Amino acid sequence: MTNSQHKLTRVSYSAGLRQRGAYQMSSALEVNVATGEANPYTPSVAADPIPFYDALRAHCPVATMEGMEGAGVYIISRYEDVRWALKHPEIFSSDLVAVDIGQDRPLIPLQIDPPEHAKYRRVIDPTLGPHEMAPLEDEIRIRVNEVIDQFAADGHVDAHAQFSVPLPGKVFLQMTGLPLDDLDLLLNWKDEIIRPGGGLLPPEEATPRRRAAGADLYGYFADVLKDRAENPGTDLLSRFFGAEVDGREMSNDEMLDICYLFILGGLDTVTSTLDCSLAYLAQNPQYRAALVADPSRIPAAVEELLRFHTPVMQILRVIKEPTELHGVKMNTGDTVVLMLGAADTDPDEFGDTAGQYCIDREVNRHLAFGGGPHRCLGSHLARLELRVALEEWHRRIPEYQITEGFELAYSPGIREVEKLPLEFKPLEFKPLEFKPGE
Amino acid sequence: MSSLKVFLEVEACTGHGRCYSLAPAVFGSDDLGHCEILLAEPSEELRESTRRAVATCPEGALTIEETA
Repeated sequence: MTNSQHKLTRVSYSAGLRQRGAYQMSSALEVNVATGEANPYTPSVAADPIPFYDALRAHCPVATMEGMEGAGVYIISRYEDVRWALKHPEIFSSDLVAVDIGQDRPLIPLQIDPPEHAKYRRVIDPTLGPHEMAPLEDEIRIRVNEVIDQFAADGHVDAHAQFSVPLPGKVFLQMTGLPLDDLDLLLNWKDEIIRPGGGLLPPEEATPRRRAAGADLYGYFADVLKDRAENPGTDLLSRFFGAEVDGREMSNDEMLDICYLFILGGLDTVTSTLDCSLAYLAQNPQYRAALVADPSRIPAAVEELLRFHTPVMQILRVIKEPTELHGVKMNTGDTVVLMLGAADTDPDEFGDTAGQYCIDREVNRHLAFGGGPHRCLGSHLARLELRVALEEWHRRIPEYQITEGFELAYSPGIREVEKLPLEFKPLEFKPLEFKPGE
Repeated sequence: MSSLKVFLEVEACTGHGRCYSLAPAVFGSDDLGHCEILLAEPSEELRESTRRAVATCPEGALTIEETA
């Protein structure tokens, strides 16, 4: 039997089980081959998405969102198709104001199409580019160690709440010159916008909570920007003042729309990547041992963690020019889910080992940061944070495991681990092995 | 003598930064994080990392011409 026949048998079997009401056997159950419908937003997909991705790519390369027939919501999953869509913003637009993330205006530059988009990127990219990020490495290393110090002597930690969540927040507050005490406030608004009530509320309850948190977030940054206008510093936000877009200075609203994106895009994504990475390494001691023995393998391992887990499972686009893919017609105004995780595990791009973790993968053109003109603005910062976090964690905590019997739960869409209890040998104080400024 | 030449399609680069991470002697970055070719004809010992960097570009913005 060929591989694809085997897959077909498995998926048909899964679909049969589903009809009989058996659940949670495999995330492939969330693809209905008979109807071409799929649902990526379930706990089983979030926990173990690869069977779901395999079924999607093999049988429904342009699937329709389950339960939304006729609503024009499609899921694209093959690597070349996703890449093609990312590179064609004139067809797959980011003008997504209809997607409710509590915003009053489009987020800049996430929800702006070319050519306007490039004007903002020219201003913002240099502030988060590789030349700006490299000097932050020492500071980030200190932040990572401060976070680890909080639980090092305990011998156990909820790595989600005590490591993955505070670390990107502290780095962001430092870069923006905001008080550390505001972290909980900002994290709470971010969670209320991305996943109010844990992400399982009906829209009529979720929407007002998103809007309330969005209004608070705008208000907070309106005050911050007012202060920076009067007392400029050298921080990331102060640099917006005087920056020119299209030969004019940015307006206050434009700066607010960038701040809003920083909070939504900058905190959650690194948190979820750290969650997925530590959870995976806790369960796969051979890879963990390899990184402890030779930290120079960490950069490649980070790329493979990004590919294999693709914590931001999908991104959205809206059809601006009617188009057709694999016989499916998509019309103006239709919504498209680009399933980055499915693209990143496509054997046509990554070969026979696409569904496996390969710590030293030679060629890794993953799309965990998207691609095309909207390539993640924070990717240089994210890569730096992830590398330094894994370096320092494994220097100090080389051995760790998930508390026995604890079952991890992942949130759909952006794959955070809700609670990640790890156990390790309590640490004695291990000072930093470098001198800042070296 | 064998040669290897690197070409960049400037419009295709969106600043993933994979090239200058994997082959920092051959590729650099401008302020936006976009690729700049530092060595258009890298020497023998840089060729393996160059090939890997070119193959890893998610945008396919880099190409190589090799003669044996």
